Amino acid sequence: MSDLLLTISLPHFLVVSFLLLAAGISTMLTKRNAIGILIGVELVLNAAAINFVAFNHYGWPGVRAAPAIDGQMFAIFIIVLAAAEASVALAIFLNFYNNFGSIDVERADDLKA
Amino acid sequence: MTPVQAHILDLLAAATLIPLASALLLLFAGKRWLGRLSGWVATLAMAGSCGCALAALSAWQDNLPATIVFEIPWIPVPGQAAGYLNLGMLVDHLTVAMTAMVTLIATLVHLYSIGYMQGDKRFERFFAYLSLFTFAMLGIVVSASLTQLFVFWELVGLTSYLLIGFWFERPGPRLACKKAFVMNRIGDAGFLAGLAILYCKLGGNLLLPAAGDAQTPSGVPIETIYQTLTAILADENASILSPPAWLTFAGIALFCGAIGKSAQFPLHTWLPDAMEGPTPVSSIVHSATMVAAGVYLTARLLPILTPGVHLFIATIGLVTLVIGACMALVMTDIKRVLAYSTLSQLGYMVLGLGAGAYNFALLHLVAHAFFKCCLFQCAGSVIHAAGGKQDLRSFGGLWRKMPATMACFAVCTLAIAGASVMGVGLSGHYSKDGLIACMHNYGLALDEAFNPGGTTFPFAHIFYWAPVAVAYVTAFYMARAFTLTFLGSPREPHLIEHAHEAPLTMLVPQGALALLAVVATPWGMAFWGDRINASAMIVPWVQGGTEEQVGETAVEFTHHAVGFAWLVGIAGGVALYAAGTKNAARLAKLPGVRLLHTWFLNKFYFDGLYDGFVVGLAKAVAGLAWILDRAVIDAAVDALAKRVREGAASISPFDPDPSGSPINSVAFAAQAADQALRPTHSGRIRLYVLLAFGSAALILMAVLILVFAARAAGHAA
Repeated sequence: MSDLLLTISLPHFLVVSFLLLAAGISTMLTKRNAIGILIGVELVLNAAAINFVAFNHYGWPGVRAAPAIDGQMFAIFIIVLAAAEASVALAIFLNFYNNFGSIDVERADDLKA
Repeated sequence: MTPVQAHILDLLAAATLIPLASALLLLFAGKRWLGRLSGWVATLAMAGSCGCALAALSAWQDNLPATIVFEIPWIPVPGQAAGYLNLGMLVDHLTVAMTAMVTLIATLVHLYSIGYMQGDKRFERFFAYLSLFTFAMLGIVVSASLTQLFVFWELVGLTSYLLIGFWFERPGPRLACKKAFVMNRIGDAGFLAGLAILYCKLGGNLLLPAAGDAQTPSGVPIETIYQTLTAILADENASILSPPAWLTFAGIALFCGAIGKSAQFPLHTWLPDAMEGPTPVSSIVHSATMVAAGVYLTARLLPILTPGVHLFIATIGLVTLVIGACMALVMTDIKRVLAYSTLSQLGYMVLGLGAGAYNFALLHLVAHAFFKCCLFQCAGSVIHAAGGKQDLRSFGGLWRKMPATMACFAVCTLAIAGASVMGVGLSGHYSKDGLIACMHNYGLALDEAFNPGGTTFPFAHIFYWAPVAVAYVTAFYMARAFTLTFLGSPREPHLIEHAHEAPLTMLVPQGALALLAVVATPWGMAFWGDRINASAMIVPWVQGGTEEQVGETAVEFTHHAVGFAWLVGIAGGVALYAAGTKNAARLAKLPGVRLLHTWFLNKFYFDGLYDGFVVGLAKAVAGLAWILDRAVIDAAVDALAKRVREGAASISPFDPDPSGSPINSVAFAAQAADQALRPTHSGRIRLYVLLAFGSAALILMAVLILVFAARAAGHAA
């Protein structure tokens, strides 16, 4: 137990990543504000990025830690994709706001059956 | 490590981190708990930081040119010899002096803002941004490596965006902050490219070259970019004087970053527009922080730049110097006159750096920081008094109402014009005249280099004649601004009827800055000149520099050429504008002058060019894509659809019973399925999120159960 607390290892990163994922999903589920949902999406993406870096560093049972920095590279790709995604999402919100006068996602239901 | 070095390191670390702490405090606790007190909290924090920096400066003066590099591992980089990208502090004379200058001006600007931003609804936030801005600049100044510098460099970009667009409810600031951001990004793309080239060639740790030899706190010598570079070049049988092409490319690319931040010629258009921000922001952006960053970077990198890059830098500086001064001549907005004047003065600094007048360029940076900050604060007080009006043509006669502001403005006008009598002068005199003397040497050396046979290379001489001419123009346009604002009789009496002297929180910083504009340079000369010569910047190919090296001829030339520039310029400006703009308007009607006047007034059509060319190009590409979409892709799809319909029509006679045919039964089945699934398409996005993640979780669980079951079965077997 004391070992688990004193040395940072893979599970610690996974717990942080899991908490981020949970926070992100619950944000997406509870917010009606489009920007809030976007923030939730970013949290989920960051959780994934942390997993990539952590698994790259520690490997997992049976798989040795990678000597290269592939995981870090993926994390950087995620950051770049997140930036692109955020700009596209914000552009959509802007147009949505121009049409509806609000960014409440519950009002985006013109296509509902 | 000597105790003094450790002491200085601690002091500078504190000076850098205090503004960050105060910014975070204001950002999170400002509105709720501090309220109107925020201004004083931020100002006191800055004053503390300034105290640390000044203590470091005075400690440094007793200390000889040791350079301290302090490192902590930051990002692990596998495969590099050093293993890590390092976070650290580089402390040499340049760092110490820049930190003192930045914190001093930031403190005075904070104090000024308390008066100026009184009653603004985002009062606390303004101070948080301002402190963060200062922190970012200090971060640049103390950074040990180029990569770390780049991080703070971008932070300066971000905070300047926030400050310029502080009044984002109005369209002007919104456009201006976007423009500043985009222009800076264009420059930073170059910076990044230069960084990548150096990274590829030199490996991970890009420690900035320090003046003299660098060592760690424990006394171990450290290899900076300069040493790495010379070692690599020696292997390739090259040197910085006969460099490989990549080194020149890297130098030019890195300088592009400085072009963006310091508003040099092709990217200069953001600086005047940044006037849309609150006046305290203009006063700090134009003096100590943002535009100083580019000059600082260039000065830092000077030892690793090749002669080709030096010429490039000098040329860019020359163009900026001239066009800035020309535009400052005709602007009617008081803040814009000052903004274009900054442009022109930055041109002096960059030109000087390109020509190797290292210490005079930096001296001018410090001197300019003090008087330009003061000029902007005075302009802010005038605008405040005139109820927000900024047009020079409607001021006039304000000396009666605001004598103290007028005195400050007058002192700084003399300082920027470089006033001197019998060799004793205000700050601008020392730095600018020194620079011009160095330019004289550089011009002659260029002439020599391009024309060894003795025939004259006409363009080389422009490198010193242009600065000389601009010295006259500078005095003239500053006299114009001063005369139109303060002298004569009020042109719009109702405007200044209620004008009054600025409150004490604004007057005190103005006065302090005016005082500094007078005394800073003699002190700076003592510090700067001795230190820099003693610490022997390793730039042998750069000429100019010390006063001894400048030489008799250059000093004599400078005396004759610009000795009385300030007097001529100021007398001309006052004489022409004493009676308002009538005489000048008549002058502007003369045939040749008229053309120039139109050019200057339209800022050489740079904005139009960029709008027309860049935006036009983007629109043309978009139009082309639209045509492609319509003519090729849509046409293909339409043609395909037409074929399908024709095909369907041709086989329809073979389908005897439409209602019972197999095709129709597929369609009916699809319709039924649609009806069944319809309720799930409720248009409620959050339900979709729940469904997506819920089903992902269920699938994951199923997979895990299967895996464990398989493993358990394997064990059992």
